[in-house]
Amino acid sequence: MSVTGIVVSSGIAFGKALHLNFHHEKIDYRLIPTSQIAQESQRLHHAFDTQKQYLQQSLLKLEADSAHAALIEADLLILDDEDLVAEIDSTIGKLQVSAAVAIERIFGHQADELAALDDPYLANRAEDVLCLSRRLIARLNGAQHFNLSQLDQDTIIFAADLTPAEFAMLPLEHISGLVLHTGGVTSHTAILARGAGLPALLSCQYEQANIANGTDVVLNGVDGEVVIAPNSATIKQLLALKQQDESRKQQLLMLKDLPAETLDGKKVGLLANVGSLNDISHLADVGAEGIGLFRTEFMLMNTNTLPDEKTQYQFYCDALHLMAGNTFTIRTLDVGADKELPCLATIDEDNPALGLRGIRYSLSHPELFKTQIKAILRAANHGPIRLMFPMINQIEELDALFEYIEQCKAQLVEEEKGFGELSYGIVVETPAAVLNLKAMLPLLDFISIGTNDLTQYTMAADRTNPMLTRQYPSLSPAVLTLIQQTIDVAHQRNIRVSLCGELASDPKVAPLLVGMGIDELSVNLSALLEVKSALRNINYQTCLSQAKHALKLTRIDELARYINGID
Amino acid sequence: MYEKVVTITAEHGIHTRPAALVVKKAKSFACDIFVECDGKQASAKSLFKLQTLGLYQGVSVKVIADGEQAQQAVQEVSELLITLS
Repeated sequence: MSVTGIVVSSGIAFGKALHLNFHHEKIDYRLIPTSQIAQESQRLHHAFDTQKQYLQQSLLKLEADSAHAALIEADLLILDDEDLVAEIDSTIGKLQVSAAVAIERIFGHQADELAALDDPYLANRAEDVLCLSRRLIARLNGAQHFNLSQLDQDTIIFAADLTPAEFAMLPLEHISGLVLHTGGVTSHTAILARGAGLPALLSCQYEQANIANGTDVVLNGVDGEVVIAPNSATIKQLLALKQQDESRKQQLLMLKDLPAETLDGKKVGLLANVGSLNDISHLADVGAEGIGLFRTEFMLMNTNTLPDEKTQYQFYCDALHLMAGNTFTIRTLDVGADKELPCLATIDEDNPALGLRGIRYSLSHPELFKTQIKAILRAANHGPIRLMFPMINQIEELDALFEYIEQCKAQLVEEEKGFGELSYGIVVETPAAVLNLKAMLPLLDFISIGTNDLTQYTMAADRTNPMLTRQYPSLSPAVLTLIQQTIDVAHQRNIRVSLCGELASDPKVAPLLVGMGIDELSVNLSALLEVKSALRNINYQTCLSQAKHALKLTRIDELARYINGID
Repeated sequence: MYEKVVTITAEHGIHTRPAALVVKKAKSFACDIFVECDGKQASAKSLFKLQTLGLYQGVSVKVIADGEQAQQAVQEVSELLITLS
């Protein structure tokens, strides 16, 4: 039996389950007699004091001035806030309610006020405030600090949530993994778990599985699940996976902070293809220099309603915050064909791959497109963003979309919302885009070649049709020629060329692409270190001669054999 | 009473950690110190209140102090507000 969650810190952990419960504190909302007010006030001060002592104790475990300590100090400052205590205290008397009700009320107001702020970084603090409020209410009900000093074996912690202070109090030498019910990728706990190299799953609905304390569990932080009471065959399998995962990780991790360059020092931009905030939080784990493709349609995949401008703005701001100024390339909504979204009406087309998809969909749904553009323009006020458009064939499409962008800017000026400037690019993924590229380049700052669709449209072969695998090879002479033509035309105008298709993620092909002149490879997170390893083990001269040779090959099978090192 | 208007330059605004520094600084003075932004006022000694002002990059804030060492308090708190990042 197993339950799933989001991996925020990867790895495989074995251990006994242990629940740390802080949630489900029952609150009695009945009015209290006036005679009890003084007593409730006393309990309130006591709860504050107990929580303060606990936070101070946890600080002793940490280096002063560390980021972790600063988070706890911020909570301490809130608890030291005399105005706050006075406000809660007076609420007890004014409304004749218990200390718990008063705390919930005042902290709740605060969280609402924070959540309503236009700035996502500040708005995120609402969750911290609510967490602190829950802890104070638990203290009122007599909750003790959890005492884990007795732990003497590998333990996997299950908790509704975990504050930075509680994380500091964990005896990490006996804790092999962490499973939380709540928490986003940007939450403090996620960052702390990654920093400690502790496998962790968040957003895990483990309650449904009724896992008793002491049950043997395995946290599979590769596939994102908790396996409960596994049988010996499963254990064996997971142990093998753990070993494999760790030895491969160790080898590749040594490359994490080394530059992506060839043996003779030719540097290549090595970026990542991502689709979620969770992905972004893993960029540093593999030493990615930035994002070469952020697929915005994934943020719409699990929702039935279209996110509004504010929601999208917050999402991009969260992403920018994680990016900390590194290259961040957003691709506008790429729907249609094989990508259907529950929140968008499906269009009935005879031939969706040749239909209303990519930029065509966006241009025919201006409100949808403009909402996204406005959110991105506003986010660009907080950090650099490169924006690229999918499925562009013609310069007229660029004219139309730049017209929309101007309209968006005018609206933002009118609404008195700040925005920043963007760099613009297109995804080159049709033969028409390659042939028309020269005319479009003056309007662009960069381009990115999307080899999956470029192959599909060049070979006129549906990439999802299993009968056409021979017509849709991962590499063909025709596509290779188009890639070379694209690079040459762009370089004549000093425009950087990125490549974000699956081809870039193939460690055997990446050096060839570098030899052809690609400036940046944007690859899947899981392949990034493998690609870096391939580049660091080859000379640029070899890349150049590989490219020269490969471009002379006229047959698909010859090319495949050459790439695989057979010929 | 002393007051001074400054603009927030911190890229991500005055969120929890920088706000905590402002509170620490304000608490080192005996006088009353307030921060006013967009019509809302909060005590600079209350992290809880300060956070709800929405002190993000580019907004103008007024620092107001009254009492002992008020002038120096305004000077030091506003200086901190513009140098935080």
